[in-house]
Amino acid sequence: MVDFSNEPTMKGFFAPTRFEADVYDCEVIGRVPTELNGAFVRLGGDWLYPPRFDDDSPFSMDGYINMFRFKNGIVDYKGRWVKTPRFKADLAAHKQLFGKYRNPFTDDPSVRALDRSVQNTTPLAFAGRLFTLKEDSLPYEIDCNTLETVGPYNFHGKYKSLTFTAHPKVDPVSGELICYGYEATGLESNDVFLYTINKQGEVTRELRFKVPYVSMVHDIGLTQKHVIIPVFGFVTSMERLKEGKVHWGWDSTKPAYVGIVPRDGEAKDIRWFKGPERATVHTLNARTEGEKVILEAPIYDSNPFPFFPPVDGSKWDPTKAKAYIRRNTFNLASKDDGFTEEKLFEMNVSDLGRVDDRYLTMPYRYAFTAYSDKQRPFDQWKAGNLGGRVNNCYGRFDLATGRMNSYFAGDTHSLQEVCFVPRKNGAEGEGYIIGMASNYAEMRSELVIADAQHLEEGDVVRVILPFRATAQVHGRWVDESDLPFA
Amino acid sequence: MPENHRSAALARRDFMGALLGAAAALRMVRLVPLAAAFPGVSSRPVVSFHLDRPYLDRSGTALPYYPPPGARSAQIFSNLDEESVRRKHCYL
Ligand SMILES: [Fe+2]
Repeated sequence: MVDFSNEPTMKGFFAPTRFEADVYDCEVIGRVPTELNGAFVRLGGDWLYPPRFDDDSPFSMDGYINMFRFKNGIVDYKGRWVKTPRFKADLAAHKQLFGKYRNPFTDDPSVRALDRSVQNTTPLAFAGRLFTLKEDSLPYEIDCNTLETVGPYNFHGKYKSLTFTAHPKVDPVSGELICYGYEATGLESNDVFLYTINKQGEVTRELRFKVPYVSMVHDIGLTQKHVIIPVFGFVTSMERLKEGKVHWGWDSTKPAYVGIVPRDGEAKDIRWFKGPERATVHTLNARTEGEKVILEAPIYDSNPFPFFPPVDGSKWDPTKAKAYIRRNTFNLASKDDGFTEEKLFEMNVSDLGRVDDRYLTMPYRYAFTAYSDKQRPFDQWKAGNLGGRVNNCYGRFDLATGRMNSYFAGDTHSLQEVCFVPRKNGAEGEGYIIGMASNYAEMRSELVIADAQHLEEGDVVRVILPFRATAQVHGRWVDESDLPFA
Repeated sequence: MPENHRSAALARRDFMGALLGAAAALRMVRLVPLAAAFPGVSSRPVVSFHLDRPYLDRSGTALPYYPPPGARSAQIFSNLDEESVRRKHCYL
C-alpha cells in the first residue's frame, strides 16, 4: 500500500511523481540553438515509497535519471528510475525496506546483504559510458540511449575503493579523470583512495591515504599540480549508527581541514592545513601559482543541512547556512598550517556553482551559480510564499572585476543548479547557461537556456515539460561526441 | 463497467442526446447571432467550459471560463519555517 498522505512536505509541487516518461519533440518557447547537440542529463531523486523515518535525509530518495536530448534544434525528454538492487527490493516488497541515510542498522533485516545505495547525485559521461554517481557506492553504468540501468562499474576491477565520489574532475588538458572514494574500505573507515583514470577508462594511478577524522568529502579541488581535499564539520561513528541516527552529525568544534597533495605525490606528501568552522561542500575551481595553491568555492559558514543535525543537541542555525564565494590561499612555503580566506562577493549564493570546464585546473574569470534576489517580484498568490526563499536568478560572477550579471527566471519560478555549455572554439564564458526551472504557478518544469554573455536579455528558449520533473541534485551537459548516442 | 460508472455514463449520454435534440430543433429556425441582436456583446471566440472540459465557443453566447489563477503549488510551505522546508527540499 503506497500512502504519502502522512508526508506534509510532499504535497503540491513537491509531491512525488513516481512515473517514467518519454516526451518526443518537446514544446518550446523560443528557438533552440541548433549548435546545441548532445544532452542535458539530470540526476536526482524521487520517493518510490515514503521514507521509513520522518527525520531521514532527502539524500535517501531513489535515484531518477532524466535527459533532454538535443539534436538539430529538436529536444526529446526521457526519464527513468535508476534500478538499483535497493529499488528492485523495495518494489518487490511494495514498501520501503531501507532506513536512514547511510545507516544500514535502520534497514529491514531482510535487506542487510544488499547494496543499499540510491543513485541520485551526479551524472557522469566518461570514456564513452554514462554513469550515475553516489558517494556511498560504486558508479552505476546507464545505457545512454534508453537510460536503463546496466549495473555497478569498477573500471575493469582496478578501482578498489568501495565508494566513488559524486564530484570527479576531468582534467581538460590530459583528459584524465581524477576521482576518489572516502570511507573507502567500509563504513566509518578513515581511508581515502585517490585515482587517476585515463581517457580510455583505465586506472593508471592509485594513492591511499587517511583523513584527520571521518567526514564528508563531497568534492575536491584540482589544479594542474595538486589535489585539494576539504574535510569539515560532519562527523560520524559506529556508535551513532547503532543508535539509529543518520550517518552525519555536525560538530562545530571540529576544525576545517584542507589536505593538499601533489598529483604525482605519495601519502607522506599530503600537507594538512587547518582553519575555523566552515563547510566546503562544493568547489568552483583551483589553480597552483608557484608555491601557492588557490581554491575558490561557495563556502558555508557552518552546517548547510538541517537533516544532519548538530551533535551537541543545539538547533540547526539557518543564519549560518549561507554560502559565499570565497578564495582560500594555501602557501606551500609556509611553516604553519594556517591559510587565508577572502570573501569575493558579499551576497550569499547557491553552493551548486559551475565554471567553464575547459578552464578547470587553470586561471579563469567567470563563475556561474544561482542566487535569490529578494528585490525581484514573486507572485505569492500564484506560487505560494516562497519569495526570497528560492533561487530566482542565475548569476555570472566576474572574478576579475567583481561584477555580476544576472538572469531572472520569472515571478513564479525557482531555479535549480546552473550548468554552462561552452560554444565550440569560443573564448571563456562564451556559450549558454542551462538549468531547470520550477514553475510553481503552472505546476510544471521548464528547462531554461540563456546566452551566457547576455543574461539580462532573458532566456533564448524554454523547453516545456507538461509535468513536474523530479528533483535534481546535479545536471551535466554531454556533448554529442562524448557518448554513443543513437 | 462498474455500476456507478455505467449509470454516470448513461446519464451523460442522455444529456448529450438532449443537447443534440435541442440543436436539431434550433436548426429549423433562423438564428440571429447574439452579437447582432445585442450590440456590445462580443462575438469573439471565448474559451468556455462545458461537460467538464474547456472548449472554444464561437457563438458569442457562452460565459468565458477563467481557470484558477495558478495552482498555488508552493502554498503547502506557507506556515513552515526555514528548517522545515530545508529538511525535505534542500535544493528547491
Ligand atoms: Fe554535489
